[in-house]
Amino acid sequence: MGDGGGSNRSNSNKPEWLQQYDLIGKIGEGTYGLVFLARIKSSTNRGKSIAIKKFKQSKDGDGVSPTAIREIMLLREITHENVVKLVNVHINHVDMSLYLAFDYAEHDLYEIIRHHRDKVNQSINQYTVKSLLWQLLNGLNYLHSNWIIHRDLKPSNILVMGEGEEHGVVKIADFGLARIYQAPLKPLSDNGVVVTIWYRAPELLLGAKHYTSAVDMWAVGCIFAELLTLKPLFQGAEVKATPNPFQLDQLDKIFKVLGHPTLEKWPSLANLPHWQQDTQHIQAHKYDNTSLYSVVHLSPKSPAFDLLSKMLEYDPRKRITAAQALEHEYFKIEPVPGRNAFVPCQPGETFVNYPTRPVDTTTDFEGTTNMQSSQPVSSGAAVSGSMPGGHVSNRSVPRPMNVGSMQRIPHQAMQAYNLTSQAGMGGGMNPGGIPMQRGVPQQQLRRKDQMGMPGYPPPQKSRRI
Amino acid sequence: MAANFWTSSHYKHLLDQEDVDMVNPLDKEKGITLEDFKLIKMHMANYILKLAQQVKVRQRVVATAVTYMRRVYTKKSMTEYDPRLVAPTCLYLASKAEESTVQARLLVFYIKKLYADDKYRYEIKDILEMEMKVLEALNYYLVVYHPYRSLSPLLQDAGLNDLNMTQLTWGLVNDTYKMDLILVHPPHLIALACIYIASVLREKDTTAWFEELRVDMNVVKNISMEILDFYESNRMFTEERINAALQKLTLRP
Repeated sequence: MGDGGGSNRSNSNKPEWLQQYDLIGKIGEGTYGLVFLARIKSSTNRGKSIAIKKFKQSKDGDGVSPTAIREIMLLREITHENVVKLVNVHINHVDMSLYLAFDYAEHDLYEIIRHHRDKVNQSINQYTVKSLLWQLLNGLNYLHSNWIIHRDLKPSNILVMGEGEEHGVVKIADFGLARIYQAPLKPLSDNGVVVTIWYRAPELLLGAKHYTSAVDMWAVGCIFAELLTLKPLFQGAEVKATPNPFQLDQLDKIFKVLGHPTLEKWPSLANLPHWQQDTQHIQAHKYDNTSLYSVVHLSPKSPAFDLLSKMLEYDPRKRITAAQALEHEYFKIEPVPGRNAFVPCQPGETFVNYPTRPVDTTTDFEGTTNMQSSQPVSSGAAVSGSMPGGHVSNRSVPRPMNVGSMQRIPHQAMQAYNLTSQAGMGGGMNPGGIPMQRGVPQQQLRRKDQMGMPGYPPPQKSRRI
Repeated sequence: MAANFWTSSHYKHLLDQEDVDMVNPLDKEKGITLEDFKLIKMHMANYILKLAQQVKVRQRVVATAVTYMRRVYTKKSMTEYDPRLVAPTCLYLASKAEESTVQARLLVFYIKKLYADDKYRYEIKDILEMEMKVLEALNYYLVVYHPYRSLSPLLQDAGLNDLNMTQLTWGLVNDTYKMDLILVHPPHLIALACIYIASVLREKDTTAWFEELRVDMNVVKNISMEILDFYESNRMFTEERINAALQKLTLRP
């Protein structure tokens, strides 16, 4: 074999490309692979954090998974500040695995919302909500104008950059289900893919065969509401069956808040399979009035409520588009959105110091747990300067976990935790890193340190210069 | 990207004819001439089409597969990357990229059915290994634009969208994949060249229509000439010559 790329007999344990990274540990796990955190060794980008998504060889013996192919295919073409950046693709010919390397994003909306709900017990700053939403729409507008539908938008797929040049910048991630929607070869609903139902648009729940970009806007509406209230807006119980079972409970949750859809307001409703077939179920309860404003605690006259209700418009054809939403009055009134969603423009305002992503340093690239090799890790970008308002944002929360402490955690407890978190999450995975592994103990330990002290510098002892 | 060819990797990576016509040094050593090189690629494009008809995938998948195959050989030698394995692998990969996945075992089955010759015989694991090498050779750029998409709006605009013209131009576009045009020219110009040829053949006056288009007519005419040259020389592409060319690859230098 002439060139390095083709040499599938280089039987070293560590593929050559891998030697350019320092592996820190595992940050996520999904149905089709693992996600690792690594740092670049080379002098030009030394210390830069990279998330590496490893795709397992598909079980049915059919090569590289089509999900991986489509993700690479799309990400290789798109460049936008609010879309996760694919830095590199690597192949290990020995075990036929595929690795996608992304710029690492420290945070995601799932963790941010959870932190506010469970730890700091206060709503997210209006500036932050607006900036996150604006950037999400900005990235989505780019995708939609390039004929790409994401199809699986949910808080855990919306990443936010940690400290550095892009601090507080939103990155849309996980394109495993994304599609180019001009002339699809097969109806998209035939793929039988399972995604979280909480963010699923009503037309899909009612059996629409084709996706349009409007399904992403519905999901954005749900995410917007969740940013405001810290609770999923429509938390239906999922019917587990294949393929594509009718999700009555999810629809019921939507109807309860938004009122029953009518043919008057949504004419094409009549053509949707489940609307015709399951009439008695769907119309068992009559919910006439919308109670959305009281659920999200917004005045019905506020621009925020106006935008939200336009995103949650039943008729996909009338639903606001990403381009229109970016022009909405909500984004023109104070506080205006900014590039760093975490740092408010007005000095003097407090802001939250978000926890860093948990890293399991006991897992190597093969995905096997290896207690010996877990390396002690420095706390990364340890200290940052003072921020406006006199508050110090400091990410010196110790990242590494102690191998010993991991062993002390009863195995059963971990499993139970993982199970419940899965029930809520519904599977999927995101490239920049995933908030799975929620049961990993170091996370709980670390988060405890931080409880009840938003915006305050962590204890001195963990700071490194 | 998907809507805009001009910002796509396909557009950015269009090649000059000279780069496409570079025979890899390893193949050159074995006596492969430029003509052999073109012949083998044409034969492999036909092979991909035959396989595709067996496994029943759309023309777009075939076109993408052929483009992958041709792109591979702008970077890799046929000596290292056996065309008889690369061709079915490209179809396999294209079927995934174009969302109509074909199972590798099905391909292996039809390969055996199409060719009794042992040199074509490859197993599932060979295809899976080559899939990764092809991905690497393509540098993971998988989105390909084809002339088909612009064909019908263009025909409609020219008022030539009758069945006869549609079929004729569609067939001409299919044949352009027997050449390297897709690596060199933007797909809409290839479509225009096919319309140009068809309108000359059917004696339709499209001069005014072409003049109104803001495209470089010289390029369109050059592409048309290349297609016509190909048809002209097509008669000489015999089975024997193809086999002789493939035979050279198996020789020790």
